[in-house]
Amino acid sequence: MNAFGLLVGVATLVVIGMGFPLVIFGERYFGYLWWPYLLGFGILSVLSSLFIQPDWISALTGIVGATLVWGSTELNEQARRAEAGWFPRKARKIRPPFERIINKWKAPRL
Amino acid sequence: MAINPLGLVAALTAFLSIWIGHVAVRKVEAAAARLWIPMTLAALAGTALLLAALRIPGRSVSMACGITGMALLWDVLELQRQARRVRIGHAPANPKNPRHAATLAALHIQTSTSLGGNLELEGKKTSHERQPG
Repeated sequence: MNAFGLLVGVATLVVIGMGFPLVIFGERYFGYLWWPYLLGFGILSVLSSLFIQPDWISALTGIVGATLVWGSTELNEQARRAEAGWFPRKARKIRPPFERIINKWKAPRL
Repeated sequence: MAINPLGLVAALTAFLSIWIGHVAVRKVEAAAARLWIPMTLAALAGTALLLAALRIPGRSVSMACGITGMALLWDVLELQRQARRVRIGHAPANPKNPRHAATLAALHIQTSTSLGGNLELEGKKTSHERQPG
């Protein structure tokens, strides 16, 4: 019996579960314009997993990366939900560096 | 330094299974007249993949089965949550689906009576048809 796959599956569920509050509170206090930073950290995390030798840590680093990439696409969706009044909304956000440039980019949506 | 592809495999499997699951939940919930059928199928497929993950000796394939299996089990809950989102108007309803048609009819009656019963809804968009933002 090989429990590795099942345990990584459970870990994926836990990590993704932590991604929900990250997106909800991240959007509330920071705003969706932080999406490129989340996307960048996610991609860096996946790439760094390639150089981690223990299988467990490599797999978890990859899953954290995938969750951050997913979170970056969900920030825009969450902003729409907050705008519609389905979630509490905070008008004053902590603005990201290079906000003007990011504003010109289209936020990813899945 | 040796490259360990396990993290990349985990990331791709997790991302794709969430993405495909996310889209499939919306489409299946909108199309299914009886929600218990896709929920049961997803639960069976998820359980089968988790059992396969326990039996497969290779770590990459075992992990891919484990992550996809868990994602499918999560989608069982998401199907129910999506149905609730449609009921409260947070997701678009499909008028051709009998479950959604009943929800739309209930909403129509509720809206009409709450405003004195004289509201003409023809041609006006309800919250089900509007997208936020």
